[in-house]
Order: sequence, then C-alpha cells, then structure tokens
Amino acid sequence: MPNMTLQEALTWIAEVFEEPAGRIVRDTKRSEIPGWDSLGTLSLIAALDERFDIQLAEDAIEGLRGVADLLDVLRERGALAEA
Amino acid sequence: MSAPLPPAFDQQWIVVTGASSGLGRAIAVELARQGARVALVGRDEERLRATAALLHGAEHRIVVLDLARHEDIVPAMTTLRAEVGPLHGLCHAAGIVETRPLSSNSVEVVRSQLDVNLIAGLELARAVCRRDVIAAEGGSLLFISSVYGRVGMPGQIGYCATKGAIVAAVRAMALELARRGIRANCLSPGLVYTEMTRRSLGKLSAEHVQKIEAAHPLGIGEPEDVARAAAFLLSGAARWITGADLPVDGGFTAQ
Repeated sequence: MPNMTLQEALTWIAEVFEEPAGRIVRDTKRSEIPGWDSLGTLSLIAALDERFDIQLAEDAIEGLRGVADLLDVLRERGALAEA
Repeated sequence: MSAPLPPAFDQQWIVVTGASSGLGRAIAVELARQGARVALVGRDEERLRATAALLHGAEHRIVVLDLARHEDIVPAMTTLRAEVGPLHGLCHAAGIVETRPLSSNSVEVVRSQLDVNLIAGLELARAVCRRDVIAAEGGSLLFISSVYGRVGMPGQIGYCATKGAIVAAVRAMALELARRGIRANCLSPGLVYTEMTRRSLGKLSAEHVQKIEAAHPLGIGEPEDVARAAAFLLSGAARWITGADLPVDGGFTAQ
C-alpha cells in the first residue's frame, strides 16, 4: 500500500473528484467539491479500493464531512504518512 | 386429466458457466432436477464440487476454466465432447459487475467485464455449436443478461454495455443458427440476492438499496426463480422460442 505525503494525498483526492490540482486543501468541505455527489461517492469507493485496497461502504463515506475526514481515513488505513 | 409430464431433459448434456455460485449454481441444480446432465464450468474446482454435491446424484462433469482466457474455451468444449458425447445446450451465467461512474471508469474495468460477460459467451457459443460438438438434432443456447441490458443505472455504464450487447448478439445468433435447429435466447433477471449482488449492494447505502428493492413490484427474486425460467428456455418446451430476451424481474422493466 502506498504511503503518501499530504500533498500527494490532496492531489489524488483532486484527481478523484476531477478538480484542478491545488484547489483541494485540508480544510475543503465536501459541499465545496461539486464532484462529491452520490456518483462521486461511488467513484471514491472504487478509487479507494483500487489504489489502496481500502473497502468502505457508501454509508461510511456519507459520514465524511470533507477532505480532513477523508485524510483521517487514509491515515488510519496506513495510506497516508503521519503528519 | 393429462398424463404427468416427462422430464424436460432426457439425460441431455448442458454446459453451465458460473456454476460455482449464484444463478449459475441454481440453474445447474434445476437442470439436473429436470433430468439433464450438466457440465459445471468455473474457475474454482472446490466450489464447483460444492455445486456438484447439490445435484442429487445426477451425472455431471467439472470443467475448471478461466473464461477470461478465451483461447482455452474451444479446447475445453472439444475435450468435454470427446468425454461425454454430443452437447445439447449452453447456459452462460458467469458474469462480472463493477460499479463505476463514468469519471472513475477505465479501459481495464470495461474490458474485464466485456471479456467474461460478452466475449466469453460468444466464444462458448462458437465452441458448443461446432458441428462435431453439438447434437446432430440441434440444441439450445441461453445467455443470462440483465435488466440493465434494457434500462440504465448510474454507475453501471460498462456492465449495461456488456448486457445490452449480448442481447443484440443473440438476436443475430438465433437467425444464423435456426437452420441447424439451434435456438438462442437471453434471460434478463432483475435483482436476485446472490453472493455477487450482495457484494455489489454492500457498497451502497441502506437507502440506496431500499430504492432498488422498491423498484421491483413483486419484490426481490430468488435464484430459483431465474433457474426455473432458464430451464424452460433451454428445454424442448420452448422449441418455438428463439432470439428472445425474457425479463425475469418481478416487474422491474414493466414500469
């Protein structure tokens, strides 16, 4: 499993939601990401599984409020280096 | 009062793919119950043996085969023919489903579904319909499509494409093979709880799953509901049906 830096993780999240690199930061809220709708959630589930072998259900993703929560998931699962 | 019906299959050999679980397993069991001998095709020998144990002693063969390796399909069917004699039918129930919205789709993901859901089915048809493989009097081919070959579903772009494609291919196959007494049909199930659908639905929220369930007026199906319809289409009782796509979906596509 890759152990990303924070910057690499933010770039990866931007790619998943088709946002320009650099627009996604730690404090970006879910509501500020147009691509993070119900289909974006499915894309995120697929991307987490494919890239990091992390299996999360739709309900678990629904509980994430923004990028900070998603970074926590990546950190807890060992995909993101400790800050 | 009419006499009891004879068994639908008189010891005829039917090839069933995806026989290690789900719909394929249920179809194999139903075919055996109705008097067929079945060749169980799948990748996992142990799970195929588990299916064989459900056949109540019916004669069977286990064919361990990775359907994504298309080059292995004709040799496997030719070998089977040499071992058991002429084949009478094929049911292609093996399938792969990947939930991917367009933005996260990829060539590899689409291709993996095409490889098994469509291309392997066509290659199996070619292998089974060889004049030196199929019974001289003809036979019956059945492909398990899906309601998603008829209607769309967000996140299922690749899967819908493969299931619609097999329905279209089967219409042409039916016309081409009719002169040889070979029928070709599709069966399109709605939501049936199997290992594969549970895995796929497990990624969705409870609310999302409830919406899908509510879209089936007769409720969610059981594998046996599909198996009985499959056995009918494969049997001589359906002798005047070819090129059809039978929805077995609790009314999902009637809306």
